Amino acid sequence: MANHKEVLEGCTIEIRDDDHLTINGKEIRYEHNRSDGTWSSKYLPYTKYPSLLAMARAIVRDTVEFSHVKE
Amino acid sequence: MAIRKDANTLNATERAEFIAAIKALKAEGLYDQFVLRHANAVMNAIHRAPAFLPWHRRFIFDLEVELQRVSGNPNLGIPYWNWATGGANASMWNDDLLGGDGDAGGVVRTGPFRAGEWTVINSSGLPAGPLMRSFGQSGMPTLPTQAEVDQVLAVTPYDVSPWNTSSNPSFRNQLEGWMGPNLHNRGHVWVGGSMLPMTSPNDPVFFMNHCMVDKVWHDWQVRFPNQGYLPETGGAFGQNLNDPMDSTPSGRIGPRPIDVLNSAALGIVYDDATGQPQPQIPVIVIGANPTAADIGAPGEADLFQFDVSTFGSYTMFTSGPSDTFMTLLGPNDQTAQVASNDDGGENLNSQITRNLSAGTYFLRIRLFSPNTTGVYAVGVRAENSAPPPTIPELMVDGAGLNASISAANESDLYMFRITNRDTYTIQTSGTTDTFLTLHGPNSQIPEIARNDDGGVSFNALIRRQIDPGEYYARVRHFSQLGTGPYTIRVSRG
Repeated sequence: MANHKEVLEGCTIEIRDDDHLTINGKEIRYEHNRSDGTWSSKYLPYTKYPSLLAMARAIVRDTVEFSHVKE
Repeated sequence: MAIRKDANTLNATERAEFIAAIKALKAEGLYDQFVLRHANAVMNAIHRAPAFLPWHRRFIFDLEVELQRVSGNPNLGIPYWNWATGGANASMWNDDLLGGDGDAGGVVRTGPFRAGEWTVINSSGLPAGPLMRSFGQSGMPTLPTQAEVDQVLAVTPYDVSPWNTSSNPSFRNQLEGWMGPNLHNRGHVWVGGSMLPMTSPNDPVFFMNHCMVDKVWHDWQVRFPNQGYLPETGGAFGQNLNDPMDSTPSGRIGPRPIDVLNSAALGIVYDDATGQPQPQIPVIVIGANPTAADIGAPGEADLFQFDVSTFGSYTMFTSGPSDTFMTLLGPNDQTAQVASNDDGGENLNSQITRNLSAGTYFLRIRLFSPNTTGVYAVGVRAENSAPPPTIPELMVDGAGLNASISAANESDLYMFRITNRDTYTIQTSGTTDTFLTLHGPNSQIPEIARNDDGGVSFNALIRRQIDPGEYYARVRHFSQLGTGPYTIRVSRG
């Protein structure tokens, strides 16, 4: 099992044992479809991602819960 | 009636009216309530599943009602985003409607929803910055073409087990975008930014995207009138035809898929549908020879109607070699299920025997297996065994009559006489969520009014000016499975 930790756009993405995902310490629930090898999450309901990390990065970039754009 | 037009064809007045109405709802706080209704729904209850289409039909209908209220225009319809002609240079993205793409950082800085003029919220309802867009930059560089829409419009049945993103062949799954050319999801992802998460209604183009989705579903329903919603039963709770859908509050129309299947009945008109013929429902004559029919395509369902003129026992049946499944609906309502049956008749035929009061009833016939085709015949006969019951009479301005809905699907019928034209109020009281319909004059069949929660709490109330004659009030529980006591009363004024 692999662990991964990175900071993207000010948010800390952490994956433990290849399947436990947190962003800024918040646990992110997701679905892993083993038949087509995709990951998806309620945060981004219109897209499936090819890896857990790709999905986590998209959540940081594209959800108002984690992206902090100033006007 | 909501007249829904291609967003690119709106004139300046129509654009200004739509934007003003959206902004009025935002100022009231109601627009953000719609964002939260979507954001806090269970993802797999309203997406990636059969209820995806009816849930969003009801969702945009509810917003449309509010837009009509604040604009004072009962015909205001949400414009639809015609993907094939709605690319980045289309007029719908001009400053007098949606504004355009985001800047290099994704922030929308043009149009009525630009930074400083429009703030999005997160799923907790807290302000979360400006509206974001990045056309074609989030993995979907192009929008659906008309040929791709046409391709999806040819797919049947509506949906198929396992009722999720792997369902195939499935019109719902292709329209949603998990199979085939990808229509709905592509709209979201092409816009990018605020259209990507569950808070996507933050961008008003969400409603135009779903109006287009709804139009495609409507077009498919007109093209395949015998392809019904699936599953009727057997799916996850919230996905079956008569299940209440997740995160759908009580409102002008019901919360079940069956409540929203008929766009025309909801008062929705698409600008390109003028003169479109509505499918005729074949009529079964009680006691006549059974009507021959067939399920010519897997998943198809046939609808028939018959009129009951007097209370009595009736048997609805199929005959033939097919394994049929029958659903009885009514009276006078194609969405109110009375009973269903699989193998109650000979061999694998379906059959229902039931006491029916006067009214128009509907029979929906499908095959038990959604993957097969076959022929059958359908008929209705009167059993003439039950004496007609006495209909309780309500006295105008008299005491209320205590009664109860004691079994699922039960409804109670009352009669009252009007001798002078005036305004009268028919209402229920008590703790039961009642639903009331008014019929007449001098017939139990024509429905002239209906109400759910117009009275105190969940009670029904109809106030109406009516002419002299005999009228009939029918009371049922709002929920098909609900029971409980109530009191009904008629008063003048």
